[in-house]
Amino acid sequence: MSRMLKFKIKRQDSKESSPYWEDFTVPYKANSNVISCLMDIQANPLNSKGEKVSPVVWDCSCLEEVCGSCTMVINGEVRQSCSALVDKLEEPIRLEPMSKFPVIRDLAVDRSRMFEALKKVQAWVPADGYHDLGPGERISPEHQHVAYKLSECMTCGCCVEACPQYSKNNDFLGAAAMNQARLFNMHPTGKSLRKDRLDVLMQAGGISDCGNAQNCVEACPKSIPLTESIADLGKQASKQFWNNLFSS
Amino acid sequence: MDTHFIYRRIHSLTGIIPVGLFLIYHLYIQLYLHSGAEVYNEEVNSFYDSPLALWILVLVVYIPLIFHSVFGALITFEAQVQPSYHYFAHLLYWLQRLSGIGVLFFIIAHVWNAQLGPLVADTWGTHWEHLAEGFSDPETGLVTKTVYVLGILGATFHFANGINTFSITWGVALTPKSQQRMRVISIITFLVLTISALYALAAIW
Repeated sequence: MSRMLKFKIKRQDSKESSPYWEDFTVPYKANSNVISCLMDIQANPLNSKGEKVSPVVWDCSCLEEVCGSCTMVINGEVRQSCSALVDKLEEPIRLEPMSKFPVIRDLAVDRSRMFEALKKVQAWVPADGYHDLGPGERISPEHQHVAYKLSECMTCGCCVEACPQYSKNNDFLGAAAMNQARLFNMHPTGKSLRKDRLDVLMQAGGISDCGNAQNCVEACPKSIPLTESIADLGKQASKQFWNNLFSS
Repeated sequence: MDTHFIYRRIHSLTGIIPVGLFLIYHLYIQLYLHSGAEVYNEEVNSFYDSPLALWILVLVVYIPLIFHSVFGALITFEAQVQPSYHYFAHLLYWLQRLSGIGVLFFIIAHVWNAQLGPLVADTWGTHWEHLAEGFSDPETGLVTKTVYVLGILGATFHFANGINTFSITWGVALTPKSQQRMRVISIITFLVLTISALYALAAIW
């Protein structure tokens, strides 16, 4: 008999219903990842007892760890399920939705709070309008070297899922949005909104709610220097604090 | 900028200035335990000769210390347990909170035992004898010694690790490399203060 993979999946039928665990067994295929196993369950939705159940719901898109939508908690650690190869996972493989966001169904969560945080810190370059703004400012290779790494964030949620300060009960912006605030504060055009961003970051839920646990930087699948970004914003906030006190 | 940010920054600042600096001064004075009762008592009592002694004590030590500890205890309630993330900085994050709460209780006991108690009992002034008696008490001596050692370890750890987090909060150390250097500084601070304090206690052990 061919080898079978054991899965324990934390399921939830609707936004309001309570979660429950369900076991599944999936035929082993070499080099398969968690998503291909979920696809097998979807094609043949039988639990370990052989009962026909509703297929497990999950989110995914790019399947190459750049979109962030398939993020879930696998064996206790948050990561992308597309890059989670079953050969490297301990069995039974436990799949849970991220705990910091409202569950939509099964493993699919609503990450709106992260996108709202990006809006709050105005994580963009203000260049609206139809008129010709001329060429953008030149960006040095050194600047690009730093900025490119920061721009790799895919708002997947790993940083805030692992963060002990980010909870459903507070309004902490989280490392991802702060990192983007840093990115756009250093951009030659984006920095025109610098003060506005810092104003938001210096309110409740902002930079001062960070507890320096540094789980974000460890959990980030893109190895973005998040602690450095938070420290950099801390420095900017310190200067702004000083200016607010003595120069305005 | 609202009060939220200002309170947090004051909390961060008071941990180093003046509470951290007071800790260094306080542990330095304890080295005089080795110089015998007379010198130690004279050294401690001389501070109280200053006409500003009470002001300094209240404004530089008690108010910042009470603010730092009470606000810090409130912040601790924000923390959520994340059991599956076993990173070193995460461990330090929890030890910082645990030591903070522990040291808060230690300080309450310590202030009562070393300052308010003797004041109430009118035995103020003979600090060396008071400490030595407490340590050599056949019944409670071991408990007192244990509490003091734990209190010292908690305080020196909390301060040393606080240097590290302070440098991130205020943006003193930005890059991972500079944060690594800060960590070395905080480890050295922890070792120097802990060894110095335990050595001081050895005089009356």
